Amino acid sequence: MDIPFTTTARKDTGLYNAKLGIWLFLASEVMLFGGLFSGYVFLRVFADFTWPERALPIIPGLINTFILIGSSVTVVFAWASLKMRKWRQFQIYMAITIVCAGIFMILKTIEYKAKFLHQAVKMKDFVILEGHTHKFTIDSAGHVEEYHPPGHGGHGDDHGSGHGDGGHGEGHSSLASEGLHLIADQKDGHGEESHGDDSHEEHAKSKSDPEYHNRIFFEADTITVSLETFYAPFIAELMAQAAAKDGVEIKVTASQLGRIDPKKAETIVVEEGELLSITDLKKYQAKYLEAKSQNSKVKTAQARDAWARLRKDAKGPARDIKDQLEFDESFEDFLVQYPQTLTYTISPPVLFHLDPRKVDESPERARLLDGTTLGGQLDSKHSAIEMAIDAIDFSDVARRAEDRDRDPLVAIENTWILQNNPEIKKLWDIHSAKVAALDEELLEKHGRDKNGKQKEEATEVERYRMRWQDIINHQVGEDKMGIFSGFAGPNHKADYAKHFPNISVPREEVRHESRFTPRWNNYYAIYFLITGLHGLHVIGGIIVLGYFLFFGKKMYLNNPERMANRVEVGGLFWHFVDLVWIFLFPILYLM
Amino acid sequence: MADSPEEIKKAVKLYIFIGAFLFAFTIITVAVATVPALDFGGRGFDAVDATIGLAIAAFKASLVMLIFMHLNHEKKLVYFVYILGFIFAIFLMVLTGLTLSGDINYGEGDTQKEKTGFYSPPAK
Repeated sequence: MDIPFTTTARKDTGLYNAKLGIWLFLASEVMLFGGLFSGYVFLRVFADFTWPERALPIIPGLINTFILIGSSVTVVFAWASLKMRKWRQFQIYMAITIVCAGIFMILKTIEYKAKFLHQAVKMKDFVILEGHTHKFTIDSAGHVEEYHPPGHGGHGDDHGSGHGDGGHGEGHSSLASEGLHLIADQKDGHGEESHGDDSHEEHAKSKSDPEYHNRIFFEADTITVSLETFYAPFIAELMAQAAAKDGVEIKVTASQLGRIDPKKAETIVVEEGELLSITDLKKYQAKYLEAKSQNSKVKTAQARDAWARLRKDAKGPARDIKDQLEFDESFEDFLVQYPQTLTYTISPPVLFHLDPRKVDESPERARLLDGTTLGGQLDSKHSAIEMAIDAIDFSDVARRAEDRDRDPLVAIENTWILQNNPEIKKLWDIHSAKVAALDEELLEKHGRDKNGKQKEEATEVERYRMRWQDIINHQVGEDKMGIFSGFAGPNHKADYAKHFPNISVPREEVRHESRFTPRWNNYYAIYFLITGLHGLHVIGGIIVLGYFLFFGKKMYLNNPERMANRVEVGGLFWHFVDLVWIFLFPILYLM
Repeated sequence: MADSPEEIKKAVKLYIFIGAFLFAFTIITVAVATVPALDFGGRGFDAVDATIGLAIAAFKASLVMLIFMHLNHEKKLVYFVYILGFIFAIFLMVLTGLTLSGDINYGEGDTQKEKTGFYSPPAK
C-alpha cells in the first residue's frame, strides 16, 4: 500500500508527512531550549554572586554566528537547487553547509579548551582570581620540578617580588635551595616560545614525565581505608605514588579483631604488618558487607519482634507508643563484628600529590572522595596554587561590604591579595586612581541629578574588576588595549604573558577553586549545558545533511521531488539550530 | 511556497538579501554591545542593552522563521504547532517564577528579603 502525502502536501494542512513531523519535533525543541533559557534567566536574576558579565571573548561567538547564518543560506540554496533539479549545484551547497558546521564545532572546541585551561580561585575573603596555573613535573626521584612562568626569563627582579610575597614569605629561590629545580621549558597551553635559558637543556629529560597543574602535596604516614566505600583506582594511584619512592612499605598498623560467626569468640581478621593490596581490600570489603547485612537482619528481626509484642496490648498510632518498645536483648547474641576501616602505616612517610578536586585537605589530614583518609602533614608550600593572574574581581567583596554598611574600598584594601602582594597592590592603586579619574570626568560631563547623585558613574565592572586588558594597561602605563581587545580572551603567550603577575596562593586562603568548568559557578554550568546541547544539535545536523549529500543520489534519481522535500525538512532543523544560536550569541557573549 | 523554477530563482535572490540582512544585524548587535558611543541606557550593561540585544535577536529569528523556514507560505496549522511550543515554554517559565514569589518565611529579619523581596534559606 502506498503511504499518502509522502511527496505531495495534504490540501487542508498544506503539509506532507515529514514536514508535519519536523514541525512537531521543532515545537518540542522550542520547549526544551525555552526551559534552558528560562533556567538561565532565573540563575542570573537570583544569582548570589556577581554574574560574569560579557565574560566570553566575542570573536569565536561572532565568527560562529556568521558561519551559522551563512550555512542557513547555503542549506536553503541546496534545497532550491534540488527544486530546479540541479544535483551538482545541490552537492556544492550542501558540502559548504557541512563544512560550515564543521568549522563551528572546531571553534567551539577551541573555546571550550581555553575554558578548561583557565583557572579560577575564590578566596576566603571573596576575591576572585583568574589566570593560568603553572605546570610542573615530578621527576623519578620524587622531586618537584617547578614550572618557570612564561615570559619571565628577563624579568627576574621585577616579578620575583610577586613570588617572594606569596603570603608565607617563600619564593622560588628557596625551593631551589631545597633541591627543587626551576625549569624554563614550556610545552603547551601557556606558549611555545623558548627562553634560551640554560636550565632548558638541563631538564629536557623531564619532558617524558607526566605534567601536573595545581596539586595538593601531602606527606602521609598513615592511610585509613573505609572498607565500605573505598574506590580501587584511588588506592591504586596512592600505591603507585608510594611505589615510585624506593623502600616504601604500607602495612596494617595494628591487628583487627572480628567475629564472623556469632557463636564463636572474636578472632584476628586482619593481621598487623600485612601489606596493602587491593585484592585483600576487596576480600575484606566482601566480608565487611556480609557482616553488615547480617547485623541489619538481626536488628530488623529484633525490631519486628518488639513491635509484635507491643501491638498485642497497645493501641494507637506508632508515634505515640514507640516509647514503650522493649527490645529483646537475646537477639544481640547473633550480631557479628567486622572492622569498618583499616589503618595502614606508611614507612618512611611519602609525599603524595593529589588532585584538589578529589581531596578535602586540612593541615593534618587529607580525605579523598571515597573516604580514604591520609594522616600526616599538608605540605602547604608546595600545595599553594601557582598562577599567572589575568583578572582580579573584587565585586563580591564590595557587594558583601555594602550589605553590611561597610566601606567597600576598605574591605578591598584588607583582602589577602592586596595585603600580601605588593605588585598586585600597585596595580590596584593604579586601577583605583583611573576609576577616580573616570568618575570625575563623568561628573564633569553629565553633572549631578537633583538629589546630588552623580548622573553617570563608573560601572561595577569598571570599578571592581581588573580585567586582563586593565592589568596590561596598568603594567605598561598606557592604554594599550582598546575597546576591541575584549573580542579575544587573555593571551598567555608571548607579548602579554610577561605582564600577568605570578602569585602563589596558599591553600588555606582558598574558598573554592576550579577550572572554568560547570563546577566553577552557575554561569559556566548553564553556559556549558546550553552550548553543549546546541553543539550536539550541530553534530546531529552534520549527520543528517551529510547523509543527504552522500547517500541521496539514488532517491534523487527515483523521485527528485521527495528528495527535495527531505532536504527541506533537514534544512528546517538546520535553521532551528541557527535560530537557537541567534539568541545564544547575544545572551552569552554580549550581555 | 515557491515551486516553479522561476519562482525559485526569485526566492533565491530573497534568500541572499535576507542572509545579508542577518549579517548586518549581527554586526549591529555587537556594535551596540561594545562601542561606548552606541551604548544606550546607563553606562555599561543594563536592562536597556538587554532589551535592545534581545529585540534584535527576536527580529533576526523571525526573519529566519518567516523566510528560510518558509513560515510565510505555510497554513495556520504550522503556526499553531510552533507557537504552542513557545506559549508552553513561556508558561513554564512563568510557573517557575511563581514558585519564587511565595511568601515562605525562613526567619525573622532576613536582610535578603528586604533587599530583593525574596527570601533565602538560612545559612547552615
